[in-house]
Amino acid sequence: MSTKFLGQFTHHLIRYATWLPPLILFNTHVAQVTLINGPSMYPYLNPQYHESLRRDLCLVFKLYAQWNLKRGMLVTFRNPNDPEKITVKRIIGLEGDVIHARPPYPHEYVHVPEGHIWVEGDGEKSKDSNYYGPISVRLITGRITHILSPLNRAGRVKWWEHPSHSARA
Amino acid sequence: MRLPSFLDRLLGHPFQTFIFAGKYLAFTHLFLEYGYSANPAEGPSMLPTFEVLGEYILISKRHALGRGVEVGDLVVYNIPTKKGNGIKRILGLPGDYVMLQSPETSNKAMIQVPQGHCWIVGDNLPASRDSRLFGPVPLALIKGKVIGRIKPFHFQWIENPLKKVEEAS
Repeated sequence: MSTKFLGQFTHHLIRYATWLPPLILFNTHVAQVTLINGPSMYPYLNPQYHESLRRDLCLVFKLYAQWNLKRGMLVTFRNPNDPEKITVKRIIGLEGDVIHARPPYPHEYVHVPEGHIWVEGDGEKSKDSNYYGPISVRLITGRITHILSPLNRAGRVKWWEHPSHSARA
Repeated sequence: MRLPSFLDRLLGHPFQTFIFAGKYLAFTHLFLEYGYSANPAEGPSMLPTFEVLGEYILISKRHALGRGVEVGDLVVYNIPTKKGNGIKRILGLPGDYVMLQSPETSNKAMIQVPQGHCWIVGDNLPASRDSRLFGPVPLALIKGKVIGRIKPFHFQWIENPLKKVEEAS
């Protein structure tokens, strides 16, 4: 009786475990649901970061994330200062743009080099390209396309309505 | 007429074969992405170490994101300025001081490798596009460490040529 139960149990365990590789593949290459930490995108994501522990739940779309980048998009990328961390920022400049940088950056104007982008957070408390300079497009892992929770702000991320979508030089 | 039993098993469920193939492909992909893979190596930038054509390399993806790499290791990295990837040798890790150009040039300036970055240079200095051209590379762009060389009918492990002082003496 008990050996039969154990046999069935392991059988089902292995059957479900075979679904793990497709699931991981889907999460790393197609789409993933993730929680946003911290205030760096303050008015847009996590607007209540100083009032509650609630964090925004977002859908990150990862298919062809490094293709067709536009100013204003919200992208997730591996932090250039810490490879294990994934960061969310808004694209301000694409390659070839001349960007007016803000104080932590040593120069006033930056020419974004080939294959790089300039990213900034919406909030004041943001360690962005003004801190570490333009980042390589190859670091990008995904785009934030939808906010899922809280429900009153749920919906598509309308990145094209952000003022930085129209060029800024 | 009844099918032979193995065909019956194979075709019994209309999607079973496809589902099984999909799971198997996903598992293989994960092994190649997070485990080990063998890729062709080409180009003149690593000449004394690797031939221009005709060699394969064994890559350990467990060193992806620069986990546990050391100065002197050969790494496969995503080129930060364009598509594609390359093999180079790590010359500096965060905090190390490296020369911006080759020793034989007149430019003797040095920089400190920033946090989360590394300095990679090809073994064939005149024919290599590396950190001397595009600056320090984020560790997050490192895909793996080269641990072996595969030639037709010949395999050879690759070890870090730099030895600790106690081991060398």
